[in-house]
Amino acid sequence: MGTKTVIIFALIAIFGFIVFTYNRLIALIEAVRNNQKQIDIQLDRRFKVFESLINVVKKYMDYEQTTLKDVVKLRSQAEQAKAAGDEKSRIAAENGISTIAGKLSVVFEQYPELKASQNCIQLQEEIVSTENRLAFAKQSYNDSVENYNATKKSFFTSQITGLFRAKLDFNFLYWQLDEAKIAEQENYTVKL
Amino acid sequence: MPQSLDQYAHSAADWRKTLKINNQKTLTVIGFFVLLYSAMGLLADLYLSSLNYPDVPLSVLLSALLTFKIQPVATLIMFGIAALSLFVTFSFHDRLMLLGTQYREITPTTATSAEEQQLYNVVEEMKIAAGLQFMPRVYVIDADYMNAFASGYSEKSALVAITRGLITRLNRAELQAVMAHELSHIRHMDIRLTLMASVLANLMVMVIDMLFYNALFNRRRSNEKNGSGALLAAIMILRYLLPLINIFLMLYLSRTREYMADAGSVELLRDNQPLASALLKIQQDHQSSQEAQRYAYQSTPHESIRREAYIFDPVQAGLESTGSLSDLFSTHPSISDRLKALGFRQKS
Repeated sequence: MGTKTVIIFALIAIFGFIVFTYNRLIALIEAVRNNQKQIDIQLDRRFKVFESLINVVKKYMDYEQTTLKDVVKLRSQAEQAKAAGDEKSRIAAENGISTIAGKLSVVFEQYPELKASQNCIQLQEEIVSTENRLAFAKQSYNDSVENYNATKKSFFTSQITGLFRAKLDFNFLYWQLDEAKIAEQENYTVKL
Repeated sequence: MPQSLDQYAHSAADWRKTLKINNQKTLTVIGFFVLLYSAMGLLADLYLSSLNYPDVPLSVLLSALLTFKIQPVATLIMFGIAALSLFVTFSFHDRLMLLGTQYREITPTTATSAEEQQLYNVVEEMKIAAGLQFMPRVYVIDADYMNAFASGYSEKSALVAITRGLITRLNRAELQAVMAHELSHIRHMDIRLTLMASVLANLMVMVIDMLFYNALFNRRRSNEKNGSGALLAAIMILRYLLPLINIFLMLYLSRTREYMADAGSVELLRDNQPLASALLKIQQDHQSSQEAQRYAYQSTPHESIRREAYIFDPVQAGLESTGSLSDLFSTHPSISDRLKALGFRQKS
C-alpha cells in the first residue's frame, strides 16, 4: 500500500464521518421541532377536552358558566400570543387553564350525586391524563433539546456544526417557568 | 425480604449512568456473540478444508481461509442462514408471544371499564414521554397473576400486554411505571436484540452438532497426518461447552436489558418510587399465593415463551428465598438487586 491509498482511505473516512454526523444532527433537530409541536398538540387537546368536560358538568351547576368563559378567554389570549410570537404571555394563559383543572376537581367534590356517577370517575381520569400528557410532552421536548445540545457541542461534532452553521446550528430553549413564577409556586401551599 | 418500601433507604436513581453502563455491557456481549459465531463458521471451514486437503497442516489452512485464498463457504452459508432465520423469526414473533393466553386488545373505543380506559391513557402518556412515533397495541390478558410484557421491534408489531391481576392491584402511578418499563424495552429494541442472540445461539449449537457427528463418522478413515486430531478434540469439547457459554451469555444479556428498562422507566417518570413499589407488590403477590400462582402459570399454555419478556420472572418466585442457585439461572436480576439499582437500599 502506497501513501496515496492511505490518503484516499483517510479522505473517504473523513467524508463518511461528516455525512454521518450531518444526518444525525438533522434527525435530532427535526426531533426537537416535532416535540415542540407535540406540546401544541397536547395544549390543543386539553382545550377541547376541558370544553366538552365543562359542557357535561353544566347540567349540575351554574358555576360552569363563568368557568367556560374563562377557558375560552384564556384560550384566545394564548392563541393571540402564539400568533404574535409572545411566548411569555402565552405560557401565562396556558397556566391559567391549568388552575381551572384544579377548580373543576373541587367542584366534583361538592356535588355527591355528580361525584358518584361513573361518568365523573372517567372525567377525573381524563383530567389527570390530560395534564400528564402535557407535562410529558414538555419533558420529552426538553429531553430532545438536551440530546441535540449535547451532540452539537461535543468534540468533532462541534467542528462540523461550524462548517454548516445555517443548517445545523440552532438555539432551542428549554421549556421552563420564569423566575417570578418559580418563586410564586415555591411558596404555594395547599389551603383547605 | 422486607414487605414495604419503608424498610428501604431512599436515594435518587442515576438513570443516565445505569443506561450507559448496561449499554456498554450489551455491546460487549453482542460483539462476543458475533465473534463466537464467526469462529464457529471458521471451525467448520477448517474442518471441511482439512478433509479436502488432508496433507496440508492446519495453520496453513487457517491462514489461507483468513486471507480468502480458500473461500470460507461454511461461514458464508452460516451467515446466510442466520439472516434468513432472523427474518422468519421477526415476521412471526409478535403473534407467537400471546400464544395460549386469553387476551383482548384495548383501544379507546373497545375499553369497557374505567380501568381499561386508564390503562390506555397511561400507555399513551408514556408514549408521549418517550417520544415514540407510534402507539403500541395494548392487550389485556385474562389471568390473575401479576405480570406484563412487551414485544415487537418495529411500529407494526410493537405491543404491550398486561394481566388483569396487575391492573386491579396496582395504583395509577405504579401501573405507569410498569408500562414505562415495557415501553423502554420497545424503544431500546430489546426484543430484536434478545431474539437475534437466541437465534444465533441455536444455530451455533446446530452447527457444532453437525460437525460433531460428521467427525465421529469420518474418524475411522482420517489419517491424522495434519494434526486434525486437535481439531477433533476442539469439536468434542465445544459440543459440550458451547451450550453452557450460550446460556450464560443470554442470561447476562437479558439482565443488562432489564436494568436498562428499569432505568428507562425512571427516565420517563423522573421518579423511582412507583416502579420500586410496583416490583415489591408483584414479588409479594407471587410469594404470598405460591400454589395458586403456580397453578395459574402452569394452566396457561406456552408460558415459557414469555418468561424472558415478563417484567418479573415467574421462575424466581418459587425459589427466591432458598439460595443463590435460582439467581444464577434467572433471566432477571433479583428484586433486591433491581431495587438497589433504582436507589433503594435495604435498611439494616
